[in-house]
Amino acid sequence: MSEKKLILVVDDDPDLVEAVSMKLEASEYRVAKAYDGEEAMEKIAEEKPDLVILDVMMPRKNGWEVCEEIKKSEALKDISVVLLTAVADSVKTTSYTHHDGKTTLADDYIPKPIDLDKLMEIVGDHCE
Amino acid sequence: MTNPSLESIKNSVKDIFFQPRVLVVDDEVRIQKACKRLLTEEGCDVEVAENGINGLKMLEEKHFDIILLDLMMPGMSGLDVLTDVKAHHPDTVVIVVTGYATLEHSIETMKKGAFDFLSKPFSPEELRLVIGKAIEFLRTLQDIATEKSRMRVMINTLSDGVLTTDNQKRIALANPAFLKAIGCRNTSVLGHHVSEFITDPRLLDMIDQAINQPESTFAEITDEITMPFSKESEGDVIIGVRCLPFRDRLNRNLGSITLLHDITALKKVDQLKSDFVSMVAHEIKSPLNSVLMQLNVILDGLAGDLTEKQKELLQRSSDRIKSLTTLSTELLDLSKIESGLINQDREDLDLVKLIADQVAGYQEKAGSKSIDLIMKETLTEIRMMGNRTNIEEVVSNLISNAIRYTPEDGQITVWACEKTDCAVINVLDTGLGIPAKDVDHIFDRFFRVKNEKTRYINGTGLGLAIVKSIVEAHHGSIEVESEVDQGTCFSVYFPRSAYKI
Repeated sequence: MSEKKLILVVDDDPDLVEAVSMKLEASEYRVAKAYDGEEAMEKIAEEKPDLVILDVMMPRKNGWEVCEEIKKSEALKDISVVLLTAVADSVKTTSYTHHDGKTTLADDYIPKPIDLDKLMEIVGDHCE
Repeated sequence: MTNPSLESIKNSVKDIFFQPRVLVVDDEVRIQKACKRLLTEEGCDVEVAENGINGLKMLEEKHFDIILLDLMMPGMSGLDVLTDVKAHHPDTVVIVVTGYATLEHSIETMKKGAFDFLSKPFSPEELRLVIGKAIEFLRTLQDIATEKSRMRVMINTLSDGVLTTDNQKRIALANPAFLKAIGCRNTSVLGHHVSEFITDPRLLDMIDQAINQPESTFAEITDEITMPFSKESEGDVIIGVRCLPFRDRLNRNLGSITLLHDITALKKVDQLKSDFVSMVAHEIKSPLNSVLMQLNVILDGLAGDLTEKQKELLQRSSDRIKSLTTLSTELLDLSKIESGLINQDREDLDLVKLIADQVAGYQEKAGSKSIDLIMKETLTEIRMMGNRTNIEEVVSNLISNAIRYTPEDGQITVWACEKTDCAVINVLDTGLGIPAKDVDHIFDRFFRVKNEKTRYINGTGLGLAIVKSIVEAHHGSIEVESEVDQGTCFSVYFPRSAYKI
């Protein structure tokens, strides 16, 4: 088996980061943590994760911006991005779109509250 | 002593029950008497003049509605009297009485403005007929005048601003509320070009767009403009503007109608509401989400082994928290949709096409339950004024509801129709039906019919509340007919505003 994949979990809620991390670690992933968008960019540059689980609404730099930076960078664009979105809209799921309608470049999304099994499935799909 | 207010009531009663005043101008006493008696019996107020000069004098003193004028009189001729009356009292109806009614004569009097003529000798019946016709004519004129002034009073008392223009953008009507809203102190604006008084570029642009709308489309242009200059008020005034073309039967633009509605208070409340909503989103939902996550991590056994009892308790608290987060999500949705309804664009919608698109979109979902989803053909085109996204939402919600509450192999029929000034959307299913005791609540937020049949049907309890909000914002209404185990029919009525003459 190849080396354990590294996953960066980004959310401004430490409890949520902790819970997701525990689940990931239990499933044989290595985990890095960040609590806002700026910190996420630093961690991404330092540790080159395989996948980023990225909250959308965060202080300093929001998830849309972080995602755009990753995907527009030659060096980082191969990192998978899974957006955590609380902007759930039961009427029309606009999961991939900004509030201003722009399509994001994320690889996948998972709505809050997070279904841990669903999350593991998505992470698994993008860490083949 | 007379009571002045009582007097005025009497006068107004007299105005309402129109009593025509008739002047008989004839030199023959016999005819004078006969006419006076007969017309008084008919409810007229009759006076008599024995020649033309006197007749004209009496006309100077007071108004007569009808004159019965003899053409052959000593002194001034009837034709000369007629010419004078038409020149100075154009509102008075003249009926010419002639002893030698030749065709040329009659034509000449009609040319000079006579309303009708009677040839001597005439029977009482003939006189009644001619006078009746004249009274009918006067009544119609009076009705039009009354209606016109009633309309003017009504429009002038509206607190919303109203402006109408012709297709050259000249002002045809501007009520005081409109002039106040645009800060115009000039009261004689009629006939002037709108740009002489309106300074707001967006407002001018909207009028321009309305007037230049091509025949094929009919849309209401909506926007909000901010009026900062009002001295009395403290902050800016936010005005919701609706602007639409005014058309004739052939769809030609005759002009524009602009309506101004002060939505400052509404916007303030809306702001409070969205602030509250985002507070709920952040301060309540986020912690709930992370509590839920932690519980699930423990449930997964990641924090050590659990006893069966502990697992059961944690599972129950996890379920409760999940329903709380769902609830807050849906509240946010509803308030988002409702705040979007305040001031929005409306256009002329082809309802049949709109429904067909939605029906097509739901075929796959219906097919997966072996439900026959069909659209009934409509012979005529059915159109309404509405916001496209909203009306699509209504149709979509009703169809997806029908699919959820209809068992396999059922049928759903969707169609549009017209009923007295309404465009109607109907969605009929062969589903579970709604128990009578629940029918009154199905439009309540978060209400769901709860029984053993619906237990496994997923739903938010919000779909119909959203439908109702949208329908009400469009001044429509919704009706439900349902029988348990037979099916349900939802009918949504939208008024078809007649903007054409």
